[in-house]
Amino acid sequence: MPVELTFRGIRDSRRALIGWCLGVAAYVAVLAAIFPSIKDMPNFDELIESYPDVLKSFFGISGGASISTGAGFLDIELFSFMLPLFVLVLAIGAGARTFAGEEDAGRLELVLAYPLRRRDAVLAKAAVVGLEVLVLCAAIGLTLVVFDPIVGLELSYGRLVAALAGLAVLGLLHGWLALGVGAAVPSRALAIGVPAGLAAAGYLVNGLHELAGWLDPFRFLSSFWLVGASPLQNGIDAVGALLVLAAGAVALLAGSVLVERRDLQTP
Amino acid sequence: MAEAPAIQTFRLSKTYGGGVRALVDLDLQVERGEVFGYLGPNGAGKSTTIRLFLDLIHPTSGSARILGLDTRADGVEARKRIGYLPGDLRLPDRLTAAEYLASLARLRGDVDTALGHSLCERLDLVLDRPLRHLSKGNRQKVGLVQAFMHRPELVVLDEPTAGLDPLLQTEIRALMRETAEDGRTVFLSSHSLDEVQHTADRVGIIRMGRLVDVDSVEGLRTRSLRRVRVSFAEPVAAEELARIEGIRVQKVEDSVVRLSAPETAMDALVKTVARHPVVDLVSEPADLEEIFLELYRETADAG
Repeated sequence: MPVELTFRGIRDSRRALIGWCLGVAAYVAVLAAIFPSIKDMPNFDELIESYPDVLKSFFGISGGASISTGAGFLDIELFSFMLPLFVLVLAIGAGARTFAGEEDAGRLELVLAYPLRRRDAVLAKAAVVGLEVLVLCAAIGLTLVVFDPIVGLELSYGRLVAALAGLAVLGLLHGWLALGVGAAVPSRALAIGVPAGLAAAGYLVNGLHELAGWLDPFRFLSSFWLVGASPLQNGIDAVGALLVLAAGAVALLAGSVLVERRDLQTP
Repeated sequence: MAEAPAIQTFRLSKTYGGGVRALVDLDLQVERGEVFGYLGPNGAGKSTTIRLFLDLIHPTSGSARILGLDTRADGVEARKRIGYLPGDLRLPDRLTAAEYLASLARLRGDVDTALGHSLCERLDLVLDRPLRHLSKGNRQKVGLVQAFMHRPELVVLDEPTAGLDPLLQTEIRALMRETAEDGRTVFLSSHSLDEVQHTADRVGIIRMGRLVDVDSVEGLRTRSLRRVRVSFAEPVAAEELARIEGIRVQKVEDSVVRLSAPETAMDALVKTVARHPVVDLVSEPADLEEIFLELYRETADAG
């Protein structure tokens, strides 16, 4: 039964995932720990206010954001760049490895010679990618919840859940795109390159569309724009987040249809 | 209705990107209860044929039926009833053989584990070490156990004994024979004539994507090709002998000529030879290797 591929996938990625979670949690913990010293620096907000618009825009420092609040601090330091980066690297790696990577290594040969449909194999593997993304987001959330009372972040837990959900849908889109591309075409390079390129382009468009007018019409294509910036302060755009999730599902389904049509490659 | 044959192909063809014609118009029928040897050199199209059976690749034209099931339309149903050992078996690194086989059994679903266990015991498989630490032989055993453990009606083995010790080769042959005696079917691909002639009932020979010939092993062996050594009293011009239809002069050494000749050419050969003083003439059936090479030459000449 294809669900066995999900179990095996979890088993295979267990160790690496635990490592990821510990590493990212440590990063989050260190940043949370320096918040008290930032909070007590009264001039920091003025310093940031004096940044050129292009920098503020690019780093998701929206109008009214304050680095001296816990939410503002974490939005700028974590949720604007580093956390999406961590989640996307994990998701794209997982999505590309589980199909394109396994095919490259010749290990799909025996799996697909078993009585299961290829699309079910793709979907079973998509569940693993989804689970990895969710576990990493949960680890981030857990770390923040632990540090919240210790360093006085004064987070709204509703906003925190929304922010993590925003991270998760970004991860799901790019991870499932990696899996879908790897299923549709026998190329590990494309399975990594396409979602990584999409993420980079989306991030740039989101950061620069206000400054470069010609980019503005493309902002709807940026997953980062759709989810929204500064989630701990502003929440996320629920419709946008659902659209991003839907796009991920479409990429996945397209891959699971196209995989049936092609030849499995031997290494 | 009569039971469908184990394998039936209809002008099955596969052309890869770049125009490589890996398999051309294969018409083949393998009956239930036989061990069918599929013989050809590396790159002849053996693995391509097998991967078409399993729907791992799709035919460019033509079709194949496994146990009466179309490989494209009813692939899942067909694969339920096939056991497959890939020619280039790649296993996960970290799982042990026991874990991996259990996982494969769950992936297949509905597998009686008793047969798997007895196979592991019979092949003396190391079950509790990570697969990456296993020897080539032990890894191959893992592949064999998973190919046989669900009592498939058709077992497809791609070069199963390549690089294995003779003891294990013998065990694998026994497994194949038992499967056939059980009324089930084995499709054995190999580039080794020796392996096939010990095991198979019938042999199909493939070369450059084309099926050259199908015959029983016995038929192949007895099919006329003779190895002849003629010792003349004095040196003679070998061209005279080479002109006879079907004869291939292999070596001329002073007055001794070695040649291969189909049975049909023997009369003409003897009559030609008789024009000269003869010291000795030895004629014996050629071994399969020579027949095999001869078949290859024929098709090479024809092509």
